[in-house]
Amino acid sequence: MFYAKFFAKRFVAIVITLAAVIAISYIMMYCSPGGFMNTTQLASSLAPLAAQDPAAYQKLMEQFQLRYGLNLPLWHQVLLYEWHTFTLNFGNSMQNPTLSIMSQLKTALPISVILAFSSVVLSVVVGIPMGIIAAIKRNTWVDYLVTTLSMFGQAIPSFVLAVIFVLLFGVEWQNVLPVTGWGTVPEAVLPVVSLAAGNIGVVARYMRGSLIETMRQDFIRTAKAKGVKYWPLVLKHGVKNSLTALITVIGPQFAFSVVGAVWVENIFAIPGLGKVISTAFTNFDFPLAITAVFILGATIMLTNLAVDVIYAVMDPRVKLQ
Amino acid sequence: MAIAVSQSQQSVRRARKNSPMYRAWQRYRRNGFAVAGLGWVILFFIIGIIGPWIAPYSYTYADFLHMHSGPSWQHLFGTDTVGYDVFSQILYSVRYALEIALGATCVSFLIGIVLGLWAGLSGGIIDMIVMRAVDFMFALPSFFFALILVVLLGKGIFPMILAIGVPGWAGYARLIRSLVLSMRNGEMVEAARALGAPQWHIARRYMFPNVVGSMVVSLAFGIPYDLTAQAGLSIVGMGLNPPMPSFGNMLAQAGANILGFPWLLYFPAGVFAITLLSFLFVADGLQEAFNPKGGM
Repeated sequence: MFYAKFFAKRFVAIVITLAAVIAISYIMMYCSPGGFMNTTQLASSLAPLAAQDPAAYQKLMEQFQLRYGLNLPLWHQVLLYEWHTFTLNFGNSMQNPTLSIMSQLKTALPISVILAFSSVVLSVVVGIPMGIIAAIKRNTWVDYLVTTLSMFGQAIPSFVLAVIFVLLFGVEWQNVLPVTGWGTVPEAVLPVVSLAAGNIGVVARYMRGSLIETMRQDFIRTAKAKGVKYWPLVLKHGVKNSLTALITVIGPQFAFSVVGAVWVENIFAIPGLGKVISTAFTNFDFPLAITAVFILGATIMLTNLAVDVIYAVMDPRVKLQ
Repeated sequence: MAIAVSQSQQSVRRARKNSPMYRAWQRYRRNGFAVAGLGWVILFFIIGIIGPWIAPYSYTYADFLHMHSGPSWQHLFGTDTVGYDVFSQILYSVRYALEIALGATCVSFLIGIVLGLWAGLSGGIIDMIVMRAVDFMFALPSFFFALILVVLLGKGIFPMILAIGVPGWAGYARLIRSLVLSMRNGEMVEAARALGAPQWHIARRYMFPNVVGSMVVSLAFGIPYDLTAQAGLSIVGMGLNPPMPSFGNMLAQAGANILGFPWLLYFPAGVFAITLLSFLFVADGLQEAFNPKGGM
C-alpha cells in the first residue's frame, strides 16, 4: 500500500515534469527564428520556385503548415502535441515525412540506453574495487594514484576521450578495435570505455570516501574487538555498508551517461538517439527533436525512480518519501 | 613606545595570519596539483586576454597554399582542411571559451543568488515554488535545456552565454538557500545579535566569511562544467557558428578528418584537456582549502 502511494506520487511528478518540458520546448521552438522550411537544403531548392511562382510557393508552404498543424493557434498546438506525445503517437519527422518517429526511435533508443547502461555497469565494476583499494591503502602511493586517475577521468569529457580513442585506434593501432559502427561487442568497447571513464572516477572517489567513513563507525570497532579478521571486517562489515550509499550515485550517473552518449554517438558514428538528436536539432526538425528529448528525459526519470526504490529495499534505514 | 608599536604590528600580522582567507591559502599551497592547475588557469586567462593580439593569423585567414600542412615554423600547430592556422584558432578559441564559460557561470550564479536569497529569506509559498522549480531543473540534464535554448537564441557568443547559463541556476539557488537558512538560524549570528552587533557588522564579519568559501568552490566547479557544455554543444552541431573557432568545433572537425591529419587533434584536444583538468584541480584544491574536514 505504501509503495503504491509512493509510486503514484512519483509518477504524477514525472508526468507533470515531462508535460512542462514538452510545453516549454515546443513554445521555444515555435518562437525560434529559424524553421524547417527556411533553414534546410529544402529552402535553397525551393528558392527558385519562390522567385518564379510565388503563388505555388505559398500553396506549398500552406500545405506544409497544414501537414504539421502549424496553422493552429499556439495553445491548441501545444495541447495537441502534449496529447499526441503522451499517447505515444509521435507522428512523422520533417526530414523523413514518410518515416514515423516511432520507427526511428525503435532502432535508436535501445542503442543509447544500452550504451549508457553498460557504461554505468562498467564504472561500478571497475570503480568499486579501485575505491576499496584506495580506502584501505589510505595516504599511500596507491591511494594517490587512484585519486589522481579518478580526477583525470572526471575532468576529461567523454567526447575528448572519444576523439583521442579514434586517433589511437584509427591511426596508430589499426585493426585492434573498430572505431565506427555499432552492433558487435568489439565495436561497443571504445564508446563504452570513453563514457565510463568519468563515472569510474566518481564511483572510485565516492567509494573511497564512504568506506573510510564507514570504517570509523562504532560497529566496526565492536567487530574488531570481537576478533573479526581483517578481510572479513573490510569486505563484509565495511564494504557492504558503504555500498548502499553508492546506489544513490547511480541515478545521476545514468543521466550523465545519457548526455555523454549523445556526444559519443556523434563521434563514433553510432546510429543511436544522440545521432538522431544532433541531426534533428541542426535541421530544425521540431517534432523529432522534442520527441527525442522527451524519450531521454522519461528514461532518466524512470531510472531515478527505480534507483530510489532499490535503495529503500536494500537499506531498511532509508524511508521513501 | 617602540615596544608598543612592535606589539601592535605583531598583533596585526597575527590577525592576518589567522584570517580565514590566509589559512585557506596556506592549505591550498600544500596541494601541488592545485598550484600547478592555478598556474595553467592564470596562463589561460592571460592568453584569453592577449590571444587575439599575439595570434599570427586572423581566424578568418585561410592559407590555401598550405592546406593540411603539418606543424612547421610558418604554421606552429599546422593548418586544417580549409587552411586555417590551428595555433591562431586555439588562441582565439581560448578567448571565446573564456568569455562564454565565465559569462554563463555569472548568469547562472546571478539567477541562482537572486532566487536562492528570495526563497531562503521569505520562506513559505515562495520557497516552495522556487524549490519545485529547482527539482524541475534537476530532473533533466541541463544540457537538453541548453540545446533547446540554442535553437531559440542562435549560435553567437551572447546567445551561447544565455543558453548555457540560464539552465544552470538551480544548483546555485539550492546552495544559497541552504546557506541563508543555516545562517539565519545559526547560533553564531544569534549570539552576535544578542551582543548588540549592528546588521552590517554581522553580515561582514560573521556571515560573509562563512559563505564565501562555499560560493567560491561552487563557482570554481561551475566554470569547467560550462566549458564542457559549450564544447559538447559543438559536438552535436549546435555550438558557435563556424568560422568562429572553438574547442568543440576543432574537436568535432578533428574527429571527422582524423585519418590523414592527426595534428588537428593533438593540440586542441591537449590544450582543452589540460585546461579542464587544471580547472578541476583548482576547484578541488579550493574545496579542500575552504572546507578541510568535509568533502572527499
